[in-house]
Amino acid sequence: MFNGPMIYRVDDDKDFLEMQKAILTHGGYRTRCFSESREALDALGEAAGPERPALVVTDLMMKSLDAGFTFARTLRSDPRFADIPMIIVSAAASRKGFDFRPRTAEDLAAMHAEAFFDKPVTPAAFLAKVKELLE
Amino acid sequence: MSEPAAASAQGAGAAPAPHARILVADDELGVREGCRKILAAEGYEVLTAGDGKAGLEQLVERGPFAVLLVDLQMPRMSGLELIQEARNRDPDIVPLIITAHATLDTAVEGTRQGAYSYIPKPFTPDELLLAIKNGLERRALSIEARRLREEREKRLLEVAAERSRSNTIIAAMTDGILVINSEKLVVLRNNATARILPDCAHRPIPFPLDEIESADVQEIVNVVLDSPGGFMILSRQIPLGAFTYMLNVSPIIDPGGETSGAVAVFSDVTELKKLDAAKSMFVSLVAHEVKSPLAATEGWLNLVLSGMLKADPAEERHMLERVLLRVRTLRGMVNELISLTAIQTGNFSLKRAPVAVADVVAETVEAHREKAEEHRISVKISDCVTGARVLADKDALSMIFSNLVENAVKYSRDGGDVLVRIGREGMYVTVSVKDNGIGISPEDLAKVFDEFYRARNEQTASIPGTGLGLSLVKRLTELHEGTVGVSSEPGKGSEFIVRFPSIA
Repeated sequence: MFNGPMIYRVDDDKDFLEMQKAILTHGGYRTRCFSESREALDALGEAAGPERPALVVTDLMMKSLDAGFTFARTLRSDPRFADIPMIIVSAAASRKGFDFRPRTAEDLAAMHAEAFFDKPVTPAAFLAKVKELLE
Repeated sequence: MSEPAAASAQGAGAAPAPHARILVADDELGVREGCRKILAAEGYEVLTAGDGKAGLEQLVERGPFAVLLVDLQMPRMSGLELIQEARNRDPDIVPLIITAHATLDTAVEGTRQGAYSYIPKPFTPDELLLAIKNGLERRALSIEARRLREEREKRLLEVAAERSRSNTIIAAMTDGILVINSEKLVVLRNNATARILPDCAHRPIPFPLDEIESADVQEIVNVVLDSPGGFMILSRQIPLGAFTYMLNVSPIIDPGGETSGAVAVFSDVTELKKLDAAKSMFVSLVAHEVKSPLAATEGWLNLVLSGMLKADPAEERHMLERVLLRVRTLRGMVNELISLTAIQTGNFSLKRAPVAVADVVAETVEAHREKAEEHRISVKISDCVTGARVLADKDALSMIFSNLVENAVKYSRDGGDVLVRIGREGMYVTVSVKDNGIGISPEDLAKVFDEFYRARNEQTASIPGTGLGLSLVKRLTELHEGTVGVSSEPGKGSEFIVRFPSIA
């Protein structure tokens, strides 16, 4: 059970980090949690072998309004991490009058993400998507 | 006597003013008296003078006269001189020259210098009366003309004064006004418009509408001017520079029903827009601040109910405790909103009783200790006034301190220090909350107690808040006859202080 794929979780809301860790652990994955995208990027640079994440799940709004977007773009533009699939979860999908919710595959691609969830996600739906992306 | 009477019937039948006063100046007694008799018989009032000087004396002492009959050559003062003196005194006087053939040239010259006409000697009564009649008619016409001219000038003055009043009003209006004629020329622009549309402030009036830079202004005015049948009034908000204006354009309809131009009025709605934006921002902030804890709560409950955790009671309990925490935060925020609304509408009731300040401060600090420790922030209390008490609503006091301590923790850097100090200033008990956090810029400092206001910069972007906390602190403190104060230095930290009347 503890030899499953590594998943990185980035969120500045402690509750979401904790609950998704619980869900992912239950699904047989190992997780590392980060409250800032900077920390996650630093860890990524050092991670190798089984510690290298197979998937990254990130929040959209963290320290600054576009932290999640910047993180996703940074990851995609780095050849070392470009292949790692990404799930964006956000409670702030329509903050400040902008509606970030992607409606088409193009929207998702523009966000550099493979999947998008509006918080909260049901454990079953979340695990199903993780499983799908890792297959 | 009978002759002049007959003459009168023919020559002066339509004399405009038979009682007009006439001065006859001639050094020949015969001419003088002859004229007097002829004219008096017609009802004219006639005075005579034997030379120019005597004529002038009569003018001065017995004037005014309608007609002046003068001989050119007289002792002491010539006829021309007398005419000039007379005209200087009364421009309406009609001077008539009585002259012998020998001096016809002089008489012609005399008329050039202001005499109305001349009567060559010798003349018949009819000739004299006709000349007098014509002269009087001319005088009446010129007086009437002057009266009309003066009346017209007076009216023009009134119109000008009226126009100047209107212009003054239009010029002083804070709303911008433009008047555009049907040829699409700007024909009027008040001072405010010069400020609102600086690009056309110095263009000489009239200037073409399409020289106004703003495409919005051009478009709206054009639509109104071109609308068939007129009667179309357009209103639209337009951004101009840093300002937003409500532009109202209405057509000027002439009596024939045609659009002869348009009036454009610019009202500055920038502040209203800001207020509107602030309220929308507030609603959006509240929605976001409500959504996060609700999403976390729902997420936890989903997890517990999913049965995934194989009913590990310890883990379930932990999750439910997390739920409780988020729900409490939510309730706190809702309370804050309710309190503020209640204070605003005057429905906030205080239950005041003697309260030991140190107790409330200690409870408040304790409530925030966990959050502070998460960020390695130390919160210390320094009580310089043991046993200070105030007459206060304990819950309100708690809300005040709680907001200040919470802010100090929120706006501190990790590892920072917060000092809550209870002190005294004269009759007041003071509680100051000092941090060495990110501080507040002078611009933001002036507004921190405003409702919905939050300092917006890179450092505060991630810090949650409704922008209500400090306005609640201020209003609650003021309900206790207290005052609030703040001092801050960006990068160094802030100190908030509240003062309450002391009772011990």
